[in-house]
Amino acid sequence: MFLINCPFCGERDQSEFKAGGEAHIERPKQPTELSDDQWAEYLFMRKNIKGVQFERWNHAHGCRKWFNMVRDTSNDEIKLIYKMGEKPPTE
Amino acid sequence: MSNNLRVKSSEYIDETTSVSFKFNGKTYHGYKGDTLASALLANNVHLVGRSFKYHRPRGIMTSGSEEPNAIVQVGTDSAMTEPNVRATEIEIYDGLEATSQNCWPSVDFDIGGINNLLSPFLPAGFYYKTFMWPASFWEKYEYFIRHSAGLGKSPTKPDTDIYDHKHIHCDVLVIGAGISGIIAAKTAAKNNLKTLLLEEKTQIGGSTIYQNSENFKIDNKNSSEWLANEINELKKLDNLEIKTRTSVAAYHGYNYLLARENLTDHLSPSEKKDKIRQRLLKIRAKKVIVATGSLERPLIFNNNDRPGIMLSSAVKKYADHYGVICGKKNVFFTNNDSAYESAISLHKKGIQVQAIIDIRENSKSAIVNEAINLGIKIYWSHTVVDTYGYKKLHKISLMELSNDGQSTIGSKINIDCDCLGVSGGWTPAVHLFTQSGGKLKFRDEDEVFIPNIYPSKQISIGSCNGDFTLNEIIKNSSNSLKEFLEIENTEYENLNIVNSIETDKRNIWLLPSDKVIGKTKPFVDYQNDATAKDIKLALREGFRSIEHVKRYTTTGMGTDQGKLGNMHALGIIADTAGVKMGELGTTTFRPPYTPLTFGTIVGRNVGEYFDIFRRTPMNNWHVNNNAEFENVGQWKRAWYYPINNETMDEAVQRESLAARTSAGILDASTLGKIDIQGSDASEFLNRVYTNAWSKLGIGKCRYGLMLNEDGMVYDDGVTTRLSENHYIMTTTTGGAANVLGKLEDYLQTEWPELDVYLTSVTDHFATASICGPNSKKILNKLIPELDLSDENFPHMSFKETSIGKIKCRVMRISFTGEHSYEINVQANYGESLWEQCMEAGKEFNITPYGTETMHLLRAEKGFIIVGQDTDGTMTPIDLQMDWIVSKKKYDFIGKRSLYRSDTIREDRKQLVGLITENPKEVLEEGAQIVLDLNKKPVEMLGHVTSSYYSPNLKKSIALAVVRGGKKMMGQKLFIPMEDRTINVTIVDPVFLDKENQRLNA
Amino acid sequence: MLNYKSSIIEDKKYSGLSIKEISPIMKLNLRGKSRDFLSTIGKNINMILPIEANTSSSSDKYTSMWLSPDEWMIISNNIIDKENNNYEIEELLFNKISKTNLGSVTDVSDQFVLINLEGESVFDILSSGCAFNFNEFMQKKGAVTQTLLAQVDIIIHHKEINNINLFVRRSFSEHLMSWINDAASRL
Ligand SMILES: [Zn+2]
Repeated sequence: MFLINCPFCGERDQSEFKAGGEAHIERPKQPTELSDDQWAEYLFMRKNIKGVQFERWNHAHGCRKWFNMVRDTSNDEIKLIYKMGEKPPTE
Repeated sequence: MSNNLRVKSSEYIDETTSVSFKFNGKTYHGYKGDTLASALLANNVHLVGRSFKYHRPRGIMTSGSEEPNAIVQVGTDSAMTEPNVRATEIEIYDGLEATSQNCWPSVDFDIGGINNLLSPFLPAGFYYKTFMWPASFWEKYEYFIRHSAGLGKSPTKPDTDIYDHKHIHCDVLVIGAGISGIIAAKTAAKNNLKTLLLEEKTQIGGSTIYQNSENFKIDNKNSSEWLANEINELKKLDNLEIKTRTSVAAYHGYNYLLARENLTDHLSPSEKKDKIRQRLLKIRAKKVIVATGSLERPLIFNNNDRPGIMLSSAVKKYADHYGVICGKKNVFFTNNDSAYESAISLHKKGIQVQAIIDIRENSKSAIVNEAINLGIKIYWSHTVVDTYGYKKLHKISLMELSNDGQSTIGSKINIDCDCLGVSGGWTPAVHLFTQSGGKLKFRDEDEVFIPNIYPSKQISIGSCNGDFTLNEIIKNSSNSLKEFLEIENTEYENLNIVNSIETDKRNIWLLPSDKVIGKTKPFVDYQNDATAKDIKLALREGFRSIEHVKRYTTTGMGTDQGKLGNMHALGIIADTAGVKMGELGTTTFRPPYTPLTFGTIVGRNVGEYFDIFRRTPMNNWHVNNNAEFENVGQWKRAWYYPINNETMDEAVQRESLAARTSAGILDASTLGKIDIQGSDASEFLNRVYTNAWSKLGIGKCRYGLMLNEDGMVYDDGVTTRLSENHYIMTTTTGGAANVLGKLEDYLQTEWPELDVYLTSVTDHFATASICGPNSKKILNKLIPELDLSDENFPHMSFKETSIGKIKCRVMRISFTGEHSYEINVQANYGESLWEQCMEAGKEFNITPYGTETMHLLRAEKGFIIVGQDTDGTMTPIDLQMDWIVSKKKYDFIGKRSLYRSDTIREDRKQLVGLITENPKEVLEEGAQIVLDLNKKPVEMLGHVTSSYYSPNLKKSIALAVVRGGKKMMGQKLFIPMEDRTINVTIVDPVFLDKENQRLNA
Repeated sequence: MLNYKSSIIEDKKYSGLSIKEISPIMKLNLRGKSRDFLSTIGKNINMILPIEANTSSSSDKYTSMWLSPDEWMIISNNIIDKENNNYEIEELLFNKISKTNLGSVTDVSDQFVLINLEGESVFDILSSGCAFNFNEFMQKKGAVTQTLLAQVDIIIHHKEINNINLFVRRSFSEHLMSWINDAASRL
């Protein structure tokens, strides 16, 4: 059970959250301009890394806000949490 | 007989309270405070079980949770019996009944014991090698193995005990209340930290609390006296909670730990009645201090498993703590100083110590000198080469060790003895540390794995950290605590500590004997009967990884997870393979540290609390009117309302007919309802639904279909425009929470520029849906002031009105194809609304109908139910709902996916209607549909998704998804059933009133 | 005329805990982000919405609870009329907020059931089914949190020391009350 620091509510038990998959995959603004392959890239392709991964999480049973998390999937260490719309760290 | 095995009155044993208990059917007596093990030993019962594979007689080995042999079944009741209980942990109470687990038919006469004679044929991997082939024989083998392997009996009836859970948040959690745990807890609590101290045993104080020796002094007091003083002070601290009989089962990431608090297992049946038996503590600690101590190692020598052979520290504890003599003639066998403590303690109590056999060549420590001065005979550089006595030890033989320790020299010496206390040194109890993800390092000088890299805010102190002397424990704990708790000083820095210091070390993982190893039985894992030669065989057969050797030999795979023998297994592998132990690594210790009952894990989440239920405001009415209920998601929905013993079919036929011929009423309160406000509300709906919303008039309703980005139908429902920028959306019953979550997701992440706010009002409203040709008359009676003319209140429109002073919203929408109204009021008026609808509808014989009739009525109209006729693989085109997909809109969720190469395939499964050749035959939902019965293998074209007998059409109807079904109108197909084949024809899915005339009837 | 019927009929008393539903209570959900939204609310109900997470503010008539950076719940401090569900304040705020596109105002009076728990065992009950850390919360009057109790979503307002208002969605209330009573019977 992680202890997740919701950027709005503070530290809460993992049971209050839902994971929402890989972060920073923006929905194309003009989907109809895309080829099948380009659309499939957006729709289906996810990295699923062993190591440092950027993820979306939702404080589903609290403030209902989505936020981003940088997590090392190999040891579950949460390295950083930042709000939606904020830029991911570069390193 | 029992009394002369008690040595002195012990402060932990209440000798004034005799306790009667049964073991293997025989009645014994012990005292309050005894464990089952101490009470049995006091009754001279050593033989408590049989080993797993060879069924060798086994006795009590230890005094704690690491016990491999004394595993018993407690209780005879088929509901309450519990297997895998360690006799060394369970406290006796009046009426306790325990039986040896691993023997059949009895511990004294054990059929499986024949395996012992067959043991040359039962080497490592025997089960794998033998029982693997032929596979069909496994069932026969399994019967034999299950019977003779003695895995204990599961209770066959539901557990009647009560269990509970509790979440605890603390600043500091201290695991283990030995001397270092007590120092840690006191230091933390005194520094204003909310502290929790857990101890698996009944009392706190560890082994130091009975370490009553001149060789161990703290500030001129015997260590036991000093610690007793500390405990007294500790108990006065108020931000400290101490829980005894509480063992940590699991240490997870983020300092989240599970512990079992045992509340009543030590009480008699009458005392424990109606009390919570065990509580699972779910602990979240800011910091964790692991002070779990260390486990004494046995020594690995030939026939080292006979009843009467015990750990040296256990022999001492039984004498010092419980006042029980394990043997009248005792010998100790050791490679270190700690057995001397045991020998001296026994000697001082007047218990005979025949000899100490020490594999070292010498030792000059204070404690060894004391033993010499007391006249205890010591055999230096000797090893035990064999032991004698089938069910109880009566003799050992020893020989001198060669210089390299790999063989024996000289002649055998025999010593009569009934108890052999062995000590192979100490293994830090790092199980919880490694569970938490901690990495160990190997310390060469005394061959121990100790904590190295901590994965969370935690430290290990005391002997679990590899500090074994009193001085090291106190000084190092104090220093660690200062840094870890960020405090200036502790009260333990300047204590004057005296302890005996070990001067010599020698360790031999596998002790030699005068026989070749093939002829010996040196057990490494007592519970799983793995011997040193099994490990060597595994290596010979090519296994190298410690994890593989473990599985092949089953070393460490018992309920004790090999707490005693794992280090020896590693040592023997390292020696045999010629590698360093530190490089070999260890096997993984997994939770739980000791077995947990399912009851504890489950807690109160049983019966009524197994799953959540939700009820509508009209629930009482449904119950009072004989409704049968159906689970829809978490909701309890009225399913049908049988009258006079009607079957479900009969009730549904009656309800369906009534709804179309006069009036029916449905509780639709469970539909999800989302209040949508904001200047971009219309644009938002345009993006989330497949159809267009901007032009929907105020006060009008529209059906919408929502897709996933992959183009598949996700949810549907009617949305009403209440005012310019205010809508109320309805969702399916099961989809409500997910739809709201998904829409919030888009608003927060993809479209933050939209000015839209969503608020769930599902539970705020109660909804009664009245349908049928008389629905208008009924609503008119209910709300006479509302103009119900088609001009004022047409189909797919909405009115805000009130009943008396209570606001309500009425929508003229229909899921049945009938003229119908949905009346929404605030939930607390819902039951009353329903009653008044019933009252107003009485003259029209208004008929309440449940979900089953609702499903039937909509199927007659060919309306889909998301989740029944769709399964996440159906596009709107597949559903023949092309009409609802806007061609004009530039984008909406899922639009792009509707013309991917896969979604435009013409041979996708598509929704069609089916009628049966025999109109009375009702298809089974889920039945497979076939075109060509003769083609093998049979090709499945699709399946039936909804199927009913329609009382209005007087024939069987069904919806189905069929590959390429759209182009197969009129096609005859087959539905093969177990006993016959049903002939069906594909038809249009709208069976009734294709012209929608009934809506305005 | 429609009759009012609250979700929980029976008050319960245990040693260290009493449980009762308080109804009818008006409850409004407010959502908005702009400064205008906050000031308009403030002006019209004479109370500043709390912007600090997990807190509440009160006037003599209303209490407002922080739910998220753009979401609050306002409740009436006192019981309202059972025979009339036209709330002046709702209409006022709806006109000033929703109709001017400053945010949203939604009546959720019956979306939530208000269960009042009072007594020294309040937090023992909660901790048997809730992973939230109440150590600071229980010292802090006016604290608010949303969390899960026995897997059911709840909002908790710490009214007075050892006295909390617990809000649960109406359809879950029977289940949760049963669960709380079961837990309380084991105190
Ligand atoms: Zn939050």
